[in-house]
Amino acid sequence: MNYFISRLLYLLVVFIVAVSGIFVLVNNMPGDPAYGLAVSIAQQRNMPIDQALEIARNIMGIDPDESLLTRYVKFMANLLRGNLGYSAYYTTSVNDIISTSLPWTIFVISLATFFSFIVGIFLGAFAAQKRGTVIEWIISTLSSIIQAVPPFILAVLILFTFSVSLRVLPLGGAYPVDVKPSFSFKFISSIFLHALGPMLATAIPQIASWTLAMRGNTSQIMEEDFIRFAEIRGLRDTVIARKYVRNNAVLPLVASLAIGVGYMLGGHTLVESIFNYPGIGFYFSKAIAARDFGLLSGLFTLIVIGVIAATFIADFVYALIDPRVKLK
Amino acid sequence: MRESVTNFYFDYIQPLLKNRKSLIGLIILLIYILMATVGAAVVPLDMNSNFAERYQKPSLKHPFGTDYFGVDIFQQIVHGSRSVISLTMLASLLAVLIGAVVGVARGYLEGFVGKIIDTIIMVFLVIPSFPALLILAAIFMDKDLNLFQIALLVAIWLWAPLAKQISAQVLSIKNKEFIEASRILNMPLNYILFSDIIKLLIPYIFINFVMQIKGAMEFSVGLMFLGLAKFDPTHWGIMLNYALYQAGALYTAKGFHYVFFVVLNIVLLIYGGVLLSQGIEEIFNPRLRGNE
Repeated sequence: MNYFISRLLYLLVVFIVAVSGIFVLVNNMPGDPAYGLAVSIAQQRNMPIDQALEIARNIMGIDPDESLLTRYVKFMANLLRGNLGYSAYYTTSVNDIISTSLPWTIFVISLATFFSFIVGIFLGAFAAQKRGTVIEWIISTLSSIIQAVPPFILAVLILFTFSVSLRVLPLGGAYPVDVKPSFSFKFISSIFLHALGPMLATAIPQIASWTLAMRGNTSQIMEEDFIRFAEIRGLRDTVIARKYVRNNAVLPLVASLAIGVGYMLGGHTLVESIFNYPGIGFYFSKAIAARDFGLLSGLFTLIVIGVIAATFIADFVYALIDPRVKLK
Repeated sequence: MRESVTNFYFDYIQPLLKNRKSLIGLIILLIYILMATVGAAVVPLDMNSNFAERYQKPSLKHPFGTDYFGVDIFQQIVHGSRSVISLTMLASLLAVLIGAVVGVARGYLEGFVGKIIDTIIMVFLVIPSFPALLILAAIFMDKDLNLFQIALLVAIWLWAPLAKQISAQVLSIKNKEFIEASRILNMPLNYILFSDIIKLLIPYIFINFVMQIKGAMEFSVGLMFLGLAKFDPTHWGIMLNYALYQAGALYTAKGFHYVFFVVLNIVLLIYGGVLLSQGIEEIFNPRLRGNE
């Protein structure tokens, strides 16, 4: 138990340092968050840009004279109360934006990860058992080639193939504008159709890496002495394959599964903005473009919380499933 | 001297040529290095737009066809390979250097300072790299960054996992008998550090340099693709940005080869790096060897 408390405290320190660093980085970005609104005010009311800028800042609640330190103290104080800040661009609280966008991101990530984990485990174990055959060569070569495709290029290719050329998938959004959210078949099927592009772009690289990792683990374990011993004992091949090899090969992967989900939160930024899928990554890239410092810091904080939680869970899961790792 | 050269050949080079994966990976990387050095010197680059030759299919005159402006794509790929390769190599090298220095320092310094270095490594591990890179790039967007500075921006988000692994390695080496022996023999600490530990770490650092190529390529191409760093108009990431968003090449059937050849080269170069690192992994861990 002591181990967990000290680990938690340590991760809390890491969290504070990371979030402070991000806050400083974000607030050092060039550009004025009020500028976009000021330009449209100046055009509408036909007034000089300086005057419009002042009005825009008033509307957005931005005080240009406020020092970085005061803003930082405010940000941390809000964070303590569970308030991730205020988005000047969307003129609403970051918590509101998160509560509408995070479910979409989690929906896509968790489904894609779960699916690719199962497929990858199966393909990897299969390839390792067929060592030296054409099947193994095909599986590992395909996985390696997929690994060489940067995820955002894959996303762009999927978008252009299925949404632009073939027109079988929608161009963006989480569901069509003319469909009201309800428990109807029409709504639910449209949700899956809209999520399919981002899910493919998330799942395909993951399938490749799970496959390669599982193949590597399985090949290593098949050479272990206790497998030889099990064979000498006359156990059936299927029993050895399932109980002795697969279980031991999957074990380390389950822990990285938790960490993987945490990192997906951050890595999903580009995929969502390419597909115009309204998850947190989509708002993140919008916030960068609009220089919405409040939204950026808030979303980044959320992502870091996700990664840290995932790291902690991974430690815990690893200790739980592997009796060799004893918690100090 | 000659003996150490032949030793180096037998220890490091020969296994690489014998393993099929690392051999193919090496060949791919060498082709691109040749393209960047010899190719860029031999192949001319004419960036003037020539609308009469817009979107020409691949032919003998234009091996990869021409782009939206009628500029030869092959010429751009060849000249772009210089910045692509130098940026990738430099970023990987910087990431490995930072990772090795921080990792060795952490392995050596225990107590409070060690804990602080641990925390720094952990902070860089929990901050998601790509979003952070985007913000960092936006901060320096208006300044004209040179090659080294862009490589450093990329490397900052790549070194942390390596530092963590190296510190664990150093900690385990430190407790081995021969280090204990050096200590009992009263050899100076610096001697122990530089001769014993570094010697053991060199293959490790070499493997990691190759492994970083994938990450460094992805990050630098992504940065250029998003238009967040202006550097060289023939960098493949910028070419891809032009092809997809400026020219909208995928909206017309005629422009397909434009995107295809840019993506093909990006993927092939990363694939070379992936194969080489898989090969090296197999050499050091023979149990992984599959279909040879």
